[in-house]
Amino acid sequence: MTTPPIIAENLVRHFGDVKAVDGINLTVNAGEIFGFLGPNGAGKSTAVRMLTTLLRPTSGTARVAGFDVVKQADDVRRNIGVALQDAAIDPLMTGFELLELQAVLYGIPANKMKRRADELLERVGLTAAADRRVGTYSGGMRRRLDLALSLIHQPTVLFLDEPTTGLDPMSRLTLWEEVRRLNREGTTVMLTTQYLEEADQLVNRIAIIDHGHIVREGKPSDLKRTVGDPTLIINVSKTQNDAAKSVLRRFGELRPTAEGTLGVGLKGGAERVAEVVRALDQGRIVVEHLELNQPSLDDVFAEATGYRLEGADNAPQAG
Amino acid sequence: MRRKPAETARHLVALSRRSTLAIFRQPALVGPSLIFPLFFAALGSSAFSRAISLPGFPAVDSYLQFTLAGTVTQGVLFGSVTGAAALATDIQDGFFDRLLAAPTSRTSILFGRLAGSSLFGAMQALVFLLVLWPFGVTVQAGILGYVSIVVGGFLTAFAVGALMSVVALKTGSAEAVQGTFPVLFILLFLSSAFFPRETMSGAYRRIADLNPISYMVEGQRSLSIDGLSLTAMAQTLAIPTGIAILTTLLALRQLQARLANR
Repeated sequence: MTTPPIIAENLVRHFGDVKAVDGINLTVNAGEIFGFLGPNGAGKSTAVRMLTTLLRPTSGTARVAGFDVVKQADDVRRNIGVALQDAAIDPLMTGFELLELQAVLYGIPANKMKRRADELLERVGLTAAADRRVGTYSGGMRRRLDLALSLIHQPTVLFLDEPTTGLDPMSRLTLWEEVRRLNREGTTVMLTTQYLEEADQLVNRIAIIDHGHIVREGKPSDLKRTVGDPTLIINVSKTQNDAAKSVLRRFGELRPTAEGTLGVGLKGGAERVAEVVRALDQGRIVVEHLELNQPSLDDVFAEATGYRLEGADNAPQAG
Repeated sequence: MRRKPAETARHLVALSRRSTLAIFRQPALVGPSLIFPLFFAALGSSAFSRAISLPGFPAVDSYLQFTLAGTVTQGVLFGSVTGAAALATDIQDGFFDRLLAAPTSRTSILFGRLAGSSLFGAMQALVFLLVLWPFGVTVQAGILGYVSIVVGGFLTAFAVGALMSVVALKTGSAEAVQGTFPVLFILLFLSSAFFPRETMSGAYRRIADLNPISYMVEGQRSLSIDGLSLTAMAQTLAIPTGIAILTTLLALRQLQARLANR
């Protein structure tokens, strides 16, 4: 069995009296896309900065790519790719020049550098803009260049800190697809996000972080399952409302839903949808519309922290 | 794992290239540091043309000839702040973090910035020598004198750039670096950059006597007016070298402190 590429044990980072990260234990397995979900100030970026050697832990240990982040920091750096949300890209240099610089810093020989830079520029769709100064790039182009920069040395572990914050929906989708492709090619990805949809769509496993603590960890689907049963919503004609209700009650508690629809907390989850449909059919009830709503990650977040991530700017912050 | 010197050298070259490109891609930065000293030289040449007959002035054909060394030093001081300000901007914007997240030689980050502004200092000195040459301003010490003044420009820019880098690394603020620039300007005016020390008196003279800029300028001036001498070359090159060693040690210490505080 291979050693997990990211292991953190009781990782702590204090800034004065502020406990930004307060005892994180974490294992990310090879080939995973692992997400840190939390609002601003929850401690996710601080945790990533420790794992990428940019911050020293106040206490605790972490090993990344098989190396200790404090004692073997340079070895960690040689084996990871890092794209930080708050690390600017020099606007006075061109995309190609920045890739060239990055290649030198990672010790890529000059004869391989150009080919690698060209490959990456093509991969992120910036070939045409390669010789333009970064100052003229859009936000999405900068993020894609940032990703290319982090991949110059073909890292086995990639850290992405809020990779899509501030991007338009199309740029976000493009970046997600690229992250998935990298992952399929074998790169272990750890990303931080404050977007529920990003966590839901992109990651295999997630840790919800709040006030410096991991409050939930697992697969998004498993976490959502712990919150409760999914809601099955149906539309039937008014004349069949009562009959439909009595059928639905056999599968769980009725739930309040939008006007003109009926909902039930479906015990047993998606596996029982077919059974419900058969029962409705046997009762000669015509179903006009049917949908199964899983509990959302926001429900998980709310259950774990007592407040919702959507609109979490009002939530108390750890720093 | 110990870093190989060749790797450090490659990092230094790449980061020096970056900082040099950055300077020359900002005309708004390059222009004033070339134009203002020449403007001051032209103004001084017009206003103080008769001052050269005052007792204490060396025997020169024009004030412009006398002020060549002051013009070079003024320009280099102007320009040497740019590297440190850019280092502070890197810290502010997060590019410094980008470099730290890579296996970059830490000292190369500092020396790369210093190399850029030092090369700019040498280029400024060369430009001033070339621009003033058609106006009869020559260096009597010949080719060795010209080279010494250009190298002196490099060393002065390095020394001052390192000192300003201490501020950049301490504060991480480009504004703070720019804010300390007037101190350099005052030091320049409290030196013999524009008038010989022999014409000064009182506290002004005492400060100019203690001010290392006076001796640097006088070395260049001697090369320009009197010709080649070991003393003049030593003043032109050894004084900025000595200051550069001191300020570089301070900058390295501040870099270490910044990295340790992470």
